[in-house]
Amino acid sequence: MVNITLRVNGATCTGSPEARKTLADFLRDDLNLTGTHLGCEHGVCGACTVIVDGRAVRSCLMLAVQAAGREVTTIEGLADDGGLGPLQQAMWDAHSFQCGFCTPGMVMQATAFLSDHPEAGEQQVREALSGNICRCTGYQSIIDGVLLAAERNRER
Amino acid sequence: MTAIAAERYTGASIKRSEDPRILTGTGRYVDDIKLPGMLHAAFVRSPLAHARVLSVDVSAARALPGVVAVLTGADLEAMTVPGPDTLMALMGWQGPSPEFTLLATDKVRLVGDPVAVVIAESRYLAEDGCELVEVEYDDLPAVVNAAFALDPSSPPLFANLGDNIARRHSRSESGDVSGTLANADRVIDFHIDVHRHQNVPMEGRGCVASYDADQGVMTFYAATQGVHVSRMAVASRLGLEPGKVHVLAGDIGGSFGLKIGASREELAVAAASRLLGRPVKWVEDRGENLTVSGQAREESFDVRAAISNDGDLLGLDVKMVIDTGSYPGMGVMVPDILQGMLPGPYKLRALGFESTAAITNKAPYVAYRGPWASETFVRERVLNLIAKDLGLDPVEIRLRNFAPRTDPPAMMVTGRPLAGVTSKESLERVAQLVDFPAFRRRQAEARAQGRYLGLGMATFIEAAPGPRSAEPDAALGNESMRLRLTEDGIVELFTGQMPHGQSHQTTLAQIAADEFGVPFEQVRVVVGDSDVVPFGLTGGSRSATMTGGVTLHGARELKAKVLDFAAHLMEVSAQDLLITDGNVWVRGDPASAVAVSEVAQRAASGPFGDDVDAKLEVEATYDGGEGGWSGGTHCAIVEVDVETGIVKVERYVAAEDCGALINPAVVEGQIRGGIAQGIGAVLLERSAYAEDGTFQSATFMDYLMPTACDVPRIEIQHLETVPLDAHVNFRGVGEGGMIVAPPTVVNAIEDALSPFGVRIYEQHLPPARILELIAAADPGQ
Repeated sequence: MVNITLRVNGATCTGSPEARKTLADFLRDDLNLTGTHLGCEHGVCGACTVIVDGRAVRSCLMLAVQAAGREVTTIEGLADDGGLGPLQQAMWDAHSFQCGFCTPGMVMQATAFLSDHPEAGEQQVREALSGNICRCTGYQSIIDGVLLAAERNRER
Repeated sequence: MTAIAAERYTGASIKRSEDPRILTGTGRYVDDIKLPGMLHAAFVRSPLAHARVLSVDVSAARALPGVVAVLTGADLEAMTVPGPDTLMALMGWQGPSPEFTLLATDKVRLVGDPVAVVIAESRYLAEDGCELVEVEYDDLPAVVNAAFALDPSSPPLFANLGDNIARRHSRSESGDVSGTLANADRVIDFHIDVHRHQNVPMEGRGCVASYDADQGVMTFYAATQGVHVSRMAVASRLGLEPGKVHVLAGDIGGSFGLKIGASREELAVAAASRLLGRPVKWVEDRGENLTVSGQAREESFDVRAAISNDGDLLGLDVKMVIDTGSYPGMGVMVPDILQGMLPGPYKLRALGFESTAAITNKAPYVAYRGPWASETFVRERVLNLIAKDLGLDPVEIRLRNFAPRTDPPAMMVTGRPLAGVTSKESLERVAQLVDFPAFRRRQAEARAQGRYLGLGMATFIEAAPGPRSAEPDAALGNESMRLRLTEDGIVELFTGQMPHGQSHQTTLAQIAADEFGVPFEQVRVVVGDSDVVPFGLTGGSRSATMTGGVTLHGARELKAKVLDFAAHLMEVSAQDLLITDGNVWVRGDPASAVAVSEVAQRAASGPFGDDVDAKLEVEATYDGGEGGWSGGTHCAIVEVDVETGIVKVERYVAAEDCGALINPAVVEGQIRGGIAQGIGAVLLERSAYAEDGTFQSATFMDYLMPTACDVPRIEIQHLETVPLDAHVNFRGVGEGGMIVAPPTVVNAIEDALSPFGVRIYEQHLPPARILELIAAADPGQ
């Protein structure tokens, strides 16, 4: 066991995970943040994407101990008091998702991408999300949700 | 949640009520369940495709701190009851039934076959325990393809069968097959292959089993398409009374046909929980999902097509071989459905059909979105190949062969009426949208520059639910629903549907809100609890008609009951009462309005006289009414890079008729999702095996899924449907995209490669295969 301290969704957390425990399992099992999903556990599908120090990270490929001292944001931390942030709202409006399993990873990936690329167009969004697999939607509704959020953000 | 302003909810793209929880990470999938004292399971799996199990030594694993139990196949056999595959039992399968145990005892039959299960305090420790289990195997020759399986010299996988045939060769004929073949202008032979690929929901299989020894009750948290089917499976294989098995399901991360009943692993986990008296969780990892959960579609077809010189497709004689993998289930039942659907919306006069199902050392064949889809692939390929031989346009040959819409309807040669089928309209709509002449000009210009564009189209119909027919075994089984008005004024629907992406919580609420007269937010759809929902299963694209229909009629029945009671309260005639916007009021007197919640509270406050029925609840059933077909025509434009073999789908247009739309955004999501899977099937996905039966696509780096860069923007047009039923004309749309996209894309690729003389008789066309086809082609064709 390794004692670690990190910030998760704006709050300081401590934990004692085994050295081999992934960040994803630490978030889900130790912190009960089950919004982060595991889709492949080998870094391809992107379902487990979280934001670490401002960058999208596959939490299945990062160990919990590597997150010590860092700032982690998960799907649960995107909006206050259970509401929806602007991207989540746009994705609801755009009927982005079906089964919802890839959703947290898509939302986190798109959040990190839009913060760096507020002017992104469709092709850039497709490329940015091409490392996140969705089996239900054919992606169009997800792309549309991200583009809608970007457009609303620019109009604000 | 803000109230939704709409004249009617039904027909509008109402935002999904599932989404707030899904978008905030507060959904509850099976892996999110954590119970006090919960243990974790991991399986020891075979590295060999076919072998005798000589010994299983679990002593070192049992000694590992944190490991609570290690159970072998023999242990499990002693704790459970033998039984058939749940889906086969449900569908009344009467054919050969191989005998096998939940975990391997005498032999393993595929790479990944479970041999033992380790139960530990964490998944990490359970996997550590698996590493310590020593299994001694004696190799047997692997039966890795149907041809070897059907060879009498192949070693039988199942001792009680004696050979590797899961379904005996059977032949049946519709129409005058020999006469049609004998008298046709031409008879052309084709061999067509469809490759093995698979469902791959983003959430794999999984369960948490929790046995309460004091009560003798098994609580089984499932990821399933129907809680009652899972309950049947758990009860029968554990030897429990069905009433002592309580199946609960929450959010489910996709399935596409995979999650029906309970898998061998899930049953082993349930047995382990009963043995240990503690909850046990198992959620498969992606390697397990790809290797053993199930695969589909490995089928081959020898086709003889009888045609006229004018391009009439007169008859087909088809010999099908299906590779059902190990542990046969759905695969043995696919040929019958496929045969019935093979004529499609065409005038075909004769169909000869025979099929053989082979058992091989590969993953079991499972239902995958449109399990019979190869009928459309074969037929729509054959039409294009014939058109090429005769120098006809692919549009022309289809228009020529479509059965006309007549009254009474034309009959498929296999027996079902083609009532209300709009194939012709869908093809014409696609042709108009795409502007085929303009495309042909662009194609010619591109070819002059060494660029290869192609256009392909394909037409399908889907029995979703299928037309009412005179046959006694019409496809429409009844759908049930319990509906009640709660004291809070909520209209509650209890359905056996188990949504896993289909948005039933939204769509059924739309229908009930309209029919009963309450705001959308005042309807609650209850799913996923075997103690309270009626029998049902989400599958076969049945929910739009069947569950939409029972919701519509059930809400009307409940409304009538509420009005009868309100009439008693308000001392007026029920005929004079309305319910709108959640209020009961006397026609012409808005001031009389009483909230439905108040009516429900009064009903609960009884007692009333014998003549008053204050139980504001109904049990509704629906037989599908007049039913009907879904269908449509899809068109793809592709560009093939003949240097690299890479195919890019440039444009994709779908003209679909699924009857009246409940929620257009939901319908379009189903269509696009199916098309994406079809594009993946052709360009990327293959469940690949080596010659010794080693599975070669056990990760997402080997089994390639379509990404946001592979699936184009898809243009969808909805056709005005032909209403068949006086009340319910919603039709299913779950499977059509996956059924028709593969032939659409393959037809487009063949068109692109026509300057090389390429003819395509297969479905999987990754870059390497495209290059082989070009190299092997005869440009003289």
